[in-house]
Amino acid sequence: MSTIPAFKSSLAASAESTRWRTVDIVVVAAIAVAFGVVFWFWNAFVWVWLRPLGEPWEYVISGVWVMPAVVAPLIVRKPGAALFAEMVAAVVSVILGSQWGLDTLLSGFVQGAGAELLFGFTMYRSFGPIVALLAGAGAGIGEALHDIPVWFPTATREVQIGIASLEMLSAAVVAGIGGWLLVRALRRTGVLQTFPAAE
Amino acid sequence: MSVLPAPLQPVRPAFLTRVTPVARLVAGMAWLVASIVTLDPIVPVRLILAAVVALVLWSGLPLRRIPGRLAPLGLAIVSLTAFSILLSSSNGDRSVAAVVTLGPARITGPAIAAGLAVGLRVGVIALSTLLVFGPSDPTRMADSLVQQWHFPDRFAYGTLAALRVAPFMAGDWGTIGAARRLRGLQPRSPAARLRETGGRLLAMLVATIRRAERLALAMDARGFDSGIRRTHFRELRTTWRDWLTIVVALAVAAAALALPR
Repeated sequence: MSTIPAFKSSLAASAESTRWRTVDIVVVAAIAVAFGVVFWFWNAFVWVWLRPLGEPWEYVISGVWVMPAVVAPLIVRKPGAALFAEMVAAVVSVILGSQWGLDTLLSGFVQGAGAELLFGFTMYRSFGPIVALLAGAGAGIGEALHDIPVWFPTATREVQIGIASLEMLSAAVVAGIGGWLLVRALRRTGVLQTFPAAE
Repeated sequence: MSVLPAPLQPVRPAFLTRVTPVARLVAGMAWLVASIVTLDPIVPVRLILAAVVALVLWSGLPLRRIPGRLAPLGLAIVSLTAFSILLSSSNGDRSVAAVVTLGPARITGPAIAAGLAVGLRVGVIALSTLLVFGPSDPTRMADSLVQQWHFPDRFAYGTLAALRVAPFMAGDWGTIGAARRLRGLQPRSPAARLRETGGRLLAMLVATIRRAERLALAMDARGFDSGIRRTHFRELRTTWRDWLTIVVALAVAAAALALPR
């Protein structure tokens, strides 16, 4: 008889670990909203000044765009967090008036899906710096799969490869490692106590 | 809030304000896809004209505010077009006659056409975005996604609740900056300034997360996650207007792609 409650509670724990609580939904969405607002500033005031760098070099810090797709899963550790966060950030940036408009939704989807796949490969069990780096790179690959046909279809092969590799590298370093460091900094402030990331 | 651009809202009743948001989303996406599957500049030009007609006649948006809102796009269109023309792979094709030659660099006709097509995509996308998101607010979009497309309601309304934290961010940013100055944190060098910005962003994110946690607690206290089937305060139904909008948008997209020059 004593095994049954234990069995039940472990079942409950595993169900609890994939089910989204209200606080998971609202906090992930709020983080995504914050990033959506940051993206708006980024697009309007930072990105335009990078233009003179020329293609593909302006993509060196494009990884900022995919940070929600790494940061949100590292905090709540639930299936779907990467896709959900990146989509909300995209929607907010559309509402605020991103110059890429509706296309941002497509970008957000492929970027979120790229990171989601990587976290999915670990069965949502591993959230260390290596997985974060790979998830960032996954989001960067998604970003490139969208950007090359939509925005750079006429460019020479070398420029296309340059943009795609810079997007991937930047996403891996800025969003992957940067995202992991950001979550570590957030954890130290004690704000993540209700989340698995607090451990 | 003043830092963020105020959303455009319809100022008079119009056809598109009575079309449900998901129907407008399908229509807008059809134009987006039509503009990105081609490298012929006539297609985005036709779609831009169609979008302007729709904006003027059926959107109900304040038309005077639209040019100012779209002005930053000019730079994006010019730089993307210029880049696409200059670095086009067809410039290296010696069998195509050059239109312009500058020393070793040459620009061909196909490169100019394709470059314009890519640059003008920005215009099609911006105008269709206005037609999708302009005629109604995010609340209606959430209603529409839940009732018509059966999105999970906790996610849709949880996100809508989280949108409320955006207006507080500008205030938090200022308060945090003032608090840091009060503590004597006054960066001088560019590197220190960058660190300072990072610190402020982190503090702002912490404030946002705390606010979201309180919001979630308040929502749960009012039975947000009760598991009882949700009923709808604002009921939305798919009507003939939705189907008409989608059919017309698809027809315009097909015509823009298929009509001879």
